[in-house]
Amino acid sequence: MQPLIPLLTTTLPVLYALSVAAYGRAYADETSTGGRFGPVVLRLAVLFHVLYLSARGVTEGHLPLASAYDFLSATALSLAAVYTYLELRQGVRTTGIFVLPLVFLMQVISSAYGNTVPASQPPLFPFWFELHTMTAVLGYGAFFVSAIYGVLFLLLYREIKANRLSFFFRRMPPLETLGRMNVSAASAGLVLLGLAILMGVGWARMANVALAKDPKTWLTVGAWCLLGFAVLAYHRLGWRGPRAVYASLAGFTTLLLSRVVTDLFVRSFHTWR
Amino acid sequence: MSASAEAVAPELGFFCVGLNHETSPLEVRDALVLSDEEVARAIRAIRERAGASEALVISTCNRTEVYARGAELPTSFVAALLQEIKGLDLLGSGKSYLYTYREPESIRHLFRVACGLDSQILGEPQITGQVKDSLTLAAKLGGSGPVMERLLDAALRSSKRARTETGIGRGPVSSAYAAVNLATKVLGSLADKKVLLIGAGEMAGLAACHFMEAGVAQFMVANRSRERAEKLGAAIAGRAISLEAVPVALPGADIVVSATSSNEPIVRESMVRNAMKIRKNRPLLFLDLAVPRDVDPQVAKLPNVFVHDLDALAQLVAQSLAQRRAEVPKVEAIIETEMTRFLKWHRSLAVKPTVTAFRTHFEEIAKEELDRHRGRFRPEDHAALEALVHGIVQKLLHRPTTRLSRADDESEGIARVDAVRELFGIDQEESDADRDAR
Repeated sequence: MQPLIPLLTTTLPVLYALSVAAYGRAYADETSTGGRFGPVVLRLAVLFHVLYLSARGVTEGHLPLASAYDFLSATALSLAAVYTYLELRQGVRTTGIFVLPLVFLMQVISSAYGNTVPASQPPLFPFWFELHTMTAVLGYGAFFVSAIYGVLFLLLYREIKANRLSFFFRRMPPLETLGRMNVSAASAGLVLLGLAILMGVGWARMANVALAKDPKTWLTVGAWCLLGFAVLAYHRLGWRGPRAVYASLAGFTTLLLSRVVTDLFVRSFHTWR
Repeated sequence: MSASAEAVAPELGFFCVGLNHETSPLEVRDALVLSDEEVARAIRAIRERAGASEALVISTCNRTEVYARGAELPTSFVAALLQEIKGLDLLGSGKSYLYTYREPESIRHLFRVACGLDSQILGEPQITGQVKDSLTLAAKLGGSGPVMERLLDAALRSSKRARTETGIGRGPVSSAYAAVNLATKVLGSLADKKVLLIGAGEMAGLAACHFMEAGVAQFMVANRSRERAEKLGAAIAGRAISLEAVPVALPGADIVVSATSSNEPIVRESMVRNAMKIRKNRPLLFLDLAVPRDVDPQVAKLPNVFVHDLDALAQLVAQSLAQRRAEVPKVEAIIETEMTRFLKWHRSLAVKPTVTAFRTHFEEIAKEELDRHRGRFRPEDHAALEALVHGIVQKLLHRPTTRLSRADDESEGIARVDAVRELFGIDQEESDADRDAR
């Protein structure tokens, strides 16, 4: 599978660029062919991306999360996959332009600066820890998409409340659908991050790592609880509108904060080196 | 163009005479809406008295148009015909309500009508169905033939393409429909939503109709006059309540359409605040179609409460119309493509008989010569000789007939067909089979 890697490293940004262009066109003009062309290219890109990471995994002998560039690529895949899932479920194609440029940017950086000719290396961590990292990255991606839909919801909410019925208003799906997309993505993130936390706790017990002193663990668990509350409030308490969205955005902000705190202000086994 | 060229490239002979919302007032258009029986009379008269080979009548509340093929329709003839059928003297008033289109404008006009470009509300979809119904009726009455049917098919295909490939039919173009559009934008599917109508007048009824079309099944009607509330309630399968019961009904509603003539606001902020507590802050949409407004402006400040008045709806309508106007050039491009396709098909009808006649002409010469010289050859050689002559003729004709068959594709094609007829003295008269093909 190794010969595939350089080819896919170049192909992925091209495919994501094409899907950005197609979704951009679909947003600008509903009747354009972009609406039909975009999803096809994007699904192809997601498929190639899975193939790329699998090829990397097979070649290197461990999950491809050895550097920040690998992390970016996995997050890009997560964003693209969660978006594709939401698009398939809700049938909404006009919001792709708000998600896919990020995917493109992440993959371009990863392809340009990452290791394009990987060789077999001994794994740095046990498999469970790698799996914990991968599920966490996928969870972050889902929360990222949820946050994007949260922001879109708030923008549309304000437009409708203020009777400013602009081009953005015409292109967006119903407010209720945006709210549902926000919660659906958060639910997917909740499951993935929940699994990551469980696997992380299991690994820490086996490796005798003291989680109690790790601020990232506490902040992540806190963010998970906040996001869990937002999803629960939507489904069980009937929360709708900005209140539910603000709750999920608070959870996402805490999650980002945990990353920033870990990387910039404290040293722990969670810090990227 | 020479006389023979006209013979091989015949004009469709397609004419249109009619009136619409731009050329006539509503009372004239109303008076000229034709029933199916009256359309049948008109088609018979156009064919029998004007000598048209095919005829079609499109009659809606916004237009009455007569299309004929094979004979020019003078305006005076159509005016007299309409007077005969409907008793309205169109020429006597001294005003010119009728317009006439000759080819190719008559064809273009039909396509524009089918696509909704000639409609009072730009891009409205009903006209496509009305054109289709007119064709069905004309076919049933024997008024339309293969050319007219092909023409209408092309016009309807343009209409379908215009609706799928452009935004000519998108967005709300009336306040009542804009209200539904806005409700869908806030609440998504309306199928499980409840609508509370405050007021039972024409505007409330119209909005209710649009909400029913959008899938709403649960209505409540509140009105000062209980009798009128019950009347509208019965028409839309809704429950009638008194105006005093609005605060009680409010928590159960998702959409409130208010259209009363009250001088004071009917829906107050405190009323909505209480309702929102009971409905656990679920979104509530007010569509205030009244002037002066029925909903206190303070209501709009409550979270998850959306209030839209006639100005907001008018803004949506204006945006949709502007958007539709911007799509007109795209629709016109589709019309030109489909018109060209149709005219190419029509030209091919003229080319086919020439190609057949051209081949027959050469084969007859070959046969005559063969018969003349047959005696000079042994009987056992006749078959080989016939095959040889046939082969030579086929090879000689291959290139010219191929080029002739493509004549409908090329601008100088018809002139080429004309030249062949003249050079080889091919008879102008078409065979019965050729006429059938047309």
